[in-house]
Amino acid sequence: MNATPPIPPSLSSASRAPVAVWPWPMALGLLTVFGLLSALLGQHGVWLALSWITLSVPLVVTLACLIRAWRRAPSVKGGPS
Amino acid sequence: MTTTTLRRWFVVHKWTSLICTLFLLVVCVTGLPMLFSEQIWDTFVGDDDPPYEVLPPGTPNTSFDIMVAKARAMFPGQIVTSVNPDDDEPAVLVSMAPSWQALKDDEKYPDRNSGHWIKFDARTAKVLKQSPLPDAPKKPRTWTGIILGTATRLHMNLFAGLPGALFMGVMGALFVASLVSGTVLYGRYMKRLSFGTLRRDRAVRLTWLDLHNLLGTVTLAWALVVGFTGFVNELQTPLFGLWRITDVRQILKPYVGLPEVSQANLSSVQAAFDTAAKAAPGNEVTGLSYPGAPFGSPVHYVLWTHGATPLRGRLFTPVLVDARTGALTGAYPMPWYLRFLEISRPLHFGDYGGLPLKLLWALLDMVVIAVLVSGVVLWAGKRRIATDVRLRALGFDLENVPTPGEAMQ
Repeated sequence: MNATPPIPPSLSSASRAPVAVWPWPMALGLLTVFGLLSALLGQHGVWLALSWITLSVPLVVTLACLIRAWRRAPSVKGGPS
Repeated sequence: MTTTTLRRWFVVHKWTSLICTLFLLVVCVTGLPMLFSEQIWDTFVGDDDPPYEVLPPGTPNTSFDIMVAKARAMFPGQIVTSVNPDDDEPAVLVSMAPSWQALKDDEKYPDRNSGHWIKFDARTAKVLKQSPLPDAPKKPRTWTGIILGTATRLHMNLFAGLPGALFMGVMGALFVASLVSGTVLYGRYMKRLSFGTLRRDRAVRLTWLDLHNLLGTVTLAWALVVGFTGFVNELQTPLFGLWRITDVRQILKPYVGLPEVSQANLSSVQAAFDTAAKAAPGNEVTGLSYPGAPFGSPVHYVLWTHGATPLRGRLFTPVLVDARTGALTGAYPMPWYLRFLEISRPLHFGDYGGLPLKLLWALLDMVVIAVLVSGVVLWAGKRRIATDVRLRALGFDLENVPTPGEAMQ
């Protein structure tokens, strides 16, 4: 059984407003594609550095999200799943 | 999106992922040592080659003809099969064999290898090294070699040759399908959650799902590119085969049946390299096969040239030079499907942007491993619950369709 009480759809819609889903994934995807291509097409110097920086962004974002979740960790853990 | 559509996407994501996950894990784990194989070799094995002679910079290379003549004098009665200048060292490898037939017969005996090579200093034409003789005691395999070899075979074809490669290609295609379906589910699931949310105050299962969503979405573009180019790579054998039975056969048709030219009366090898360099401007000539080589012509040198940039570095243009006269027969750029294959290779290997790019490749690979593991955890945790109940529990809004639980109430 799932520990979360089933929330009626109407209630959950009211409590949490819809958010824009795609800006972050799109931005990270575009940065990744740019990073992959800049090293391939640019080959050296600034293009390589740009590739390393842009490809690091998704990893840095992940780390930031994980750290944020850790900091906000509740003292009491959620019920067992 | 209707509930039916959502349910279908969910089922597609579940099954495509389930089928390919185990193989994807194999690929992701074995890919790590492959990524750093150069560094691993240098650290654990190194090479025991004598250092190169120090010569004034700008010393011109000796003609290939002199090296070939030396090689033939060292092994009279044998044939030269190919001449390959090294990419980044001043060395030239001249390969020899008792005959083409002997090489062909080797295929029947896995232990036999009648081909051998001589390594020359490109500038002085001095012999640097020779391949160990066939009857010499075999060097024991190093652990590094065993581990890297095993990883490579597992990664490419699970030790199962062409069928294994095609099977892994199918797994690659399923992986791409699971990424696409996962993206659709992500869009639906995240409607009311801000990006990067990791809920740790509710069911453990939701933490896993949030983690799966976060890690999956940050690596999505990378995984799509590497997954798709991996799929294309697994098709290389059939694609090269297609080229061989279409264009290559057409080009070689006029020469099929001609008697093989004797190696005593061949035109200059050095001149053939020069002719090929002119015939494929902007390309580097990386090797020459002698007339009679498999898939070649009995009367031509086949010269392999490739582009000089990382993007074009794997785009090969073979050049045929008539070995009787030294005249250029033609340069033959690869068909579009092989160009596509070759361009997709660096994007799969991550070997075109120095060590930092390889490190990023490794880190992204490890995040993908975490996506796979979290996916398995999510599947294993609630296997017995019906799809709708699960979708609801995960916070999806299902329109108009009561869950089995509600229907019973």
